[in-house]
Amino acid sequence: MSRLTLGHRLKIRSMVHMAAEPIPFFWPMRTFIHHNPLHGLEHLPFEQGVRRGEELFHGRGFLPRREYQRYHREGQVDMATLQADIAHFLDDHEPIGGLELEGLLKSLLCELSDPVAVPLDLADAEDAKHVIDGFGPSSETGVDIEALHRRLVRQFPPERPLYESMDLLFGTEIGTTLDELVIKSCLDFFDEGQSTLQMPGRDHGFFTAWSALAKRNLRLFLRGLHIKQILAQDASAEGVIAYVLDELGIEEAHWDGLITRELTRLHGWAGFIRWRSSAKRYHWSQAYPADLVDFLAIRLVLGLALIREHARRKRLPATFPELAHYLEQHTAECYLRQAYHGGNILPAWAHRVDDALAHRHPGRVNRLLPDYLHDERVAEANRQADRLLALAEAADQTEAVKALDVEQLEALLALIRDFERGEGMMWLRAMEAVYRKSVLNEIKLLPPAKREKRPFAQALFCIDVRSERIRRQLEHVGDYQTFGIAGFFGVPVSFIGLGKGTELDLCPVQITPKNLVLEVPTGATQIETDFYSSASHVLHDVKSSVLSPYFTVEAMGLLFGFDMIGNTIAPRVYNRWRNRIEPKDASTRLLIDKLSREQADSIVRSLQRVTIVRAIGDQLGIDRDAITDLMIRELREIAMGNKEGTSEFARHFALSPAAESEFIETLRRDYRINPSFVSMQMERLGKIGFSLDEQVYFVGQALRMMGMNENFSRFVILAGHASQSDNNPYESALDCGACGGGHGLVPARVLAQMANKADVRRRLRKQGIDIPDDTWFLPAQHNTTSDVIQLHDLDLLPTSHLVYMERLRNGLRAASRLCAAERLPTLEDNVDPHLDTTTAFRHIQRNISDWTQVRPEWGLARNAAVVVGGRHLTEDMDMEGRSFLLSYDYKLDPKGRLLDTILSGPLIIGEWINLEHYFSAVDNEGFGSGSKAYHNVAGRFGVMTGNLSDIRTGLPSQTVLKDGRPYHEPLRLLVIIEAPVPHVLAAAGRVPKALSLIVNGWINVVVADPESGHLHYFDRGEWHDLGPAPQRARQTESIDAEESPA
Amino acid sequence: MSILLLLLAGFFLPLFPLSMVFNALLARFSHPAARVALIVVWPQLGVLLVLAAGLPLDGLHGGLFLWWGLATAAFYAWRLLTVREIGQWAAMLATSAFALTWVMAAASRHAADLQVFALGFAMAPALLVVIATLLERRIGAAYSGLVTGMARDVPRLAGLLTVVLLAAMALPISPGFFAMLDLLFRSPPGPVMLALLTWLLWSWAGTRLLRDTVFGPRSGAETADICPAQAWAFTAVIVLAIVLKLIWTGA
Repeated sequence: MSRLTLGHRLKIRSMVHMAAEPIPFFWPMRTFIHHNPLHGLEHLPFEQGVRRGEELFHGRGFLPRREYQRYHREGQVDMATLQADIAHFLDDHEPIGGLELEGLLKSLLCELSDPVAVPLDLADAEDAKHVIDGFGPSSETGVDIEALHRRLVRQFPPERPLYESMDLLFGTEIGTTLDELVIKSCLDFFDEGQSTLQMPGRDHGFFTAWSALAKRNLRLFLRGLHIKQILAQDASAEGVIAYVLDELGIEEAHWDGLITRELTRLHGWAGFIRWRSSAKRYHWSQAYPADLVDFLAIRLVLGLALIREHARRKRLPATFPELAHYLEQHTAECYLRQAYHGGNILPAWAHRVDDALAHRHPGRVNRLLPDYLHDERVAEANRQADRLLALAEAADQTEAVKALDVEQLEALLALIRDFERGEGMMWLRAMEAVYRKSVLNEIKLLPPAKREKRPFAQALFCIDVRSERIRRQLEHVGDYQTFGIAGFFGVPVSFIGLGKGTELDLCPVQITPKNLVLEVPTGATQIETDFYSSASHVLHDVKSSVLSPYFTVEAMGLLFGFDMIGNTIAPRVYNRWRNRIEPKDASTRLLIDKLSREQADSIVRSLQRVTIVRAIGDQLGIDRDAITDLMIRELREIAMGNKEGTSEFARHFALSPAAESEFIETLRRDYRINPSFVSMQMERLGKIGFSLDEQVYFVGQALRMMGMNENFSRFVILAGHASQSDNNPYESALDCGACGGGHGLVPARVLAQMANKADVRRRLRKQGIDIPDDTWFLPAQHNTTSDVIQLHDLDLLPTSHLVYMERLRNGLRAASRLCAAERLPTLEDNVDPHLDTTTAFRHIQRNISDWTQVRPEWGLARNAAVVVGGRHLTEDMDMEGRSFLLSYDYKLDPKGRLLDTILSGPLIIGEWINLEHYFSAVDNEGFGSGSKAYHNVAGRFGVMTGNLSDIRTGLPSQTVLKDGRPYHEPLRLLVIIEAPVPHVLAAAGRVPKALSLIVNGWINVVVADPESGHLHYFDRGEWHDLGPAPQRARQTESIDAEESPA
Repeated sequence: MSILLLLLAGFFLPLFPLSMVFNALLARFSHPAARVALIVVWPQLGVLLVLAAGLPLDGLHGGLFLWWGLATAAFYAWRLLTVREIGQWAAMLATSAFALTWVMAAASRHAADLQVFALGFAMAPALLVVIATLLERRIGAAYSGLVTGMARDVPRLAGLLTVVLLAAMALPISPGFFAMLDLLFRSPPGPVMLALLTWLLWSWAGTRLLRDTVFGPRSGAETADICPAQAWAFTAVIVLAIVLKLIWTGA
């Protein structure tokens, strides 16, 4: 029982809920979802959000200055923008002495690699002035104990976890131990089948299961952690939270701040638990419920036990009031302690301070303090003066700086401090300006040229940046027209693959699909359960049991050796051979049509009959040959409660009434032949497929969104995409983000199957979309690792199209090879520029099976822009695989509804992908996941660095960095929308999320107005008319020149 | 006479509390050359005194000095766990290792065995003292925990520190490893157990030192790495020591 009232418990729950708001969700890695790590702060302006994110997650929101300087040297920083931002900054500041501030700040940015403003704790401008003038600090340093105490009180507020304060003061490392214990508990509970032994009682919830185990945990007890004593105070997680915080002496007003800090300490785990508790359809969440209240309660219990143990053993403060008292009584000691354990001690003093603190003799510490403070003050003053003089020299203003008086120097230091705090944003804007100008300069804001005849084939690709290269190459090799659409083709489906038991949502994570699609075998190929498959299962079982691994290594280790050697030495050849002995994929169709009630009923009956036959075999050992359909039907009726009395089956096999009754009960209980299960099955079957209206709607919407309502080709290829790599927990991060981190083939197959239906086309014709009879929608999969485009469902292809297949295949193959040749130099060093496409293609193929390859492809790295509009805007541009291309024709969308959909779906996915890359590149340790080389899979849903760490969120260094430097240029997404300005503004007004992203600067938006021919850019809260698009202006000039009389 | 000689040798092959003289001298000298010379020469003086007293040490005196040496070695090895100043760490390691010479003196009849034993154990502390000086010049102090994650920013210096610390732990194929093996094979089980404990403590302390300097997230002020020539010079010294030891042991 809990000692808290319901109201109090709810209050604590809501406190935890609110405190967790800034923590981003972490989705299981099987379906890696790119997301903005500062998603919870998107309501703030970008710069402000980044600063808050830096505080919460201890990461860095902008690159270090020297990285920006490198970009500057490479010509990727727009000096005009940088200077304008410096001038803008100085608008709010008064001139200082004879300094030329603009030049000074420009030198600071471009010529000094380290910050100029030094955090001054003891020294001040007067001291710096004395040093600049060639003297030491102004006077002797007095010891102001009161001031030091005030500083310590600010440094150790009640919101700071007590163990953190103790670690900083006494070097206890409680925080690290606590994190380890919490991580171990999480690994035990959240395991999704990786461990052989499961934590008992998981179905009762995280806190309950953990409590039951922790009370009996002898190891914790032997370490002196009296967990049982704490858990005895309250049975509920909320009650325990309240108890611990009370025991620590934290006033309730500070609880929310403290909870935020506790949760953000392991924000990867907290993000996973936060997501999991909200994912009601997630199997593991249904089976083993957990939420952040449980997580926090466990953390606080372990934290309190550790604090008490250390306090007891080392006679340290065990509550916040005791700590406050200690700070007051031992101010000098605490000051030196925080400097020493915080790593801020003057190096030359480290040994002396360590000695003095180890002896814990107040007199010795008090004697040491004045000398230490003096030296620290001198060091600060010298450091500040040196840096200021270095800046002055770089700006050629040494005399002007030396001529400043103390007040002016103080103003200068304040100005520089302020400037350096905001410099990251200035660099970012200046880098974005270069990219923006380069793209806008080439954008062709002209009416698209009219096609004489329909193209040989049309191909619809995902908007993914990797599609840009293959689209460009495909258009280059032949008469192909390409379009860009979100990779789920606008059809949100939940999918159950052949032989799979769980649903997979193939659509953006913001959408919950209403329709289920089943994959069923055609029977054209036999589903193989051959020796190889059976051996794989046996091997897996043997590996995962408790004792068998001891002898398995000796007995079967060699089998793994083949794999290891083959995959390492010759992965391509070895895998080609291995694929031959592996079972082939079965031929399948997708069940996309809604079932009638009769059909559903028939399916359920059929399944039940199969189950009854199996039950008779399992329970009674009777073969199928010995029983008739009639007997089975009768048994089913009895089990369902539709009939009573002795069955023909019982009579035939002379079963006693008791045995028959027991068997019927088994059918109901174990084999689930009962009305309630049937009702559930019927409900689930009702989700299968799409009604005809839905099919017409989805096909029509997809085509209209791309501006594709006429001039259909003979082939319309729907190319979903997927990646393929080995030994790569991040494989799904390279798959389709619009398909929830899954493969894009299923949505392509679904849409193709719908669009090839005569009924659907008939209805679409009435809506003005006339798809000719000879047009065939052909699903395909673009493998982004190998660049291969594989066509699917070819057995459904009409005979009339077969003669064109060779031409189609040739074209696709050529595009794949050209694309591989284009990508190869980005993946390998020293590639021969004259390398033929066949060899380049072969090089790239190796990446799909090479298990030592940490970077099978660059994925979405270097993404920088989204172009929403016709292909004519970018058809002559090489966008280097950096742009999401989304086909859109505003003329087919007079009400702007399709643009609403784009702004609320693909745009947000693009922004998440972009900012995930941005922050992972800017601070790979803080916001990314570090090097893949040290990763270990945790519980089958995440990765950790080493064997015990926070769940690593974000992208690994191999995805965004090259040779330790950003390969992904960290820029905010540039969104270019081709539509009239009022049209865009109206749509943005209807989608609050998109509006907030634009206004708060999380994305940069340019509207390319095709009617006025002008470009409009949103910056600092207002729209700026950039004038006519350069391409359009050039064309107008050339027309004018032609028309003007000679 | 021999007991006096042996007691006198206790200053040079340090036996606690006589070992304080050696440690005080090392702390007093600030120039690295002087410190290196002290580490290399000091135990050799002790060996000469032991030789003057006669080998092997046996009888009551032999047993007394053997266990006194082992206790000193274990004590200083244990102290290593709490020392963070790298120069001081090197001094204590040297004290602990040189004290083991007494075990060797009880087991060997050859003067050269003792001389090479002491020389083999002098290499790591001597190099560590030089590295400590390099760190002091760059950071202001050679103190573990003050600057972590050196491997990332100063890879040459970090690599050197790692190799020298591995040698300090007497891991294969450092001279200390062969010296230790020699000692273990020649000694009876009792002293072997205590020598093994000492060895374990060196490894533990060395690993902690590595953790708090070379590995972990980057912290502390940025600093310049040593130049390639310096790195090569150090490497040459280490390789030379290893090769000489290999030749000597016939490995």
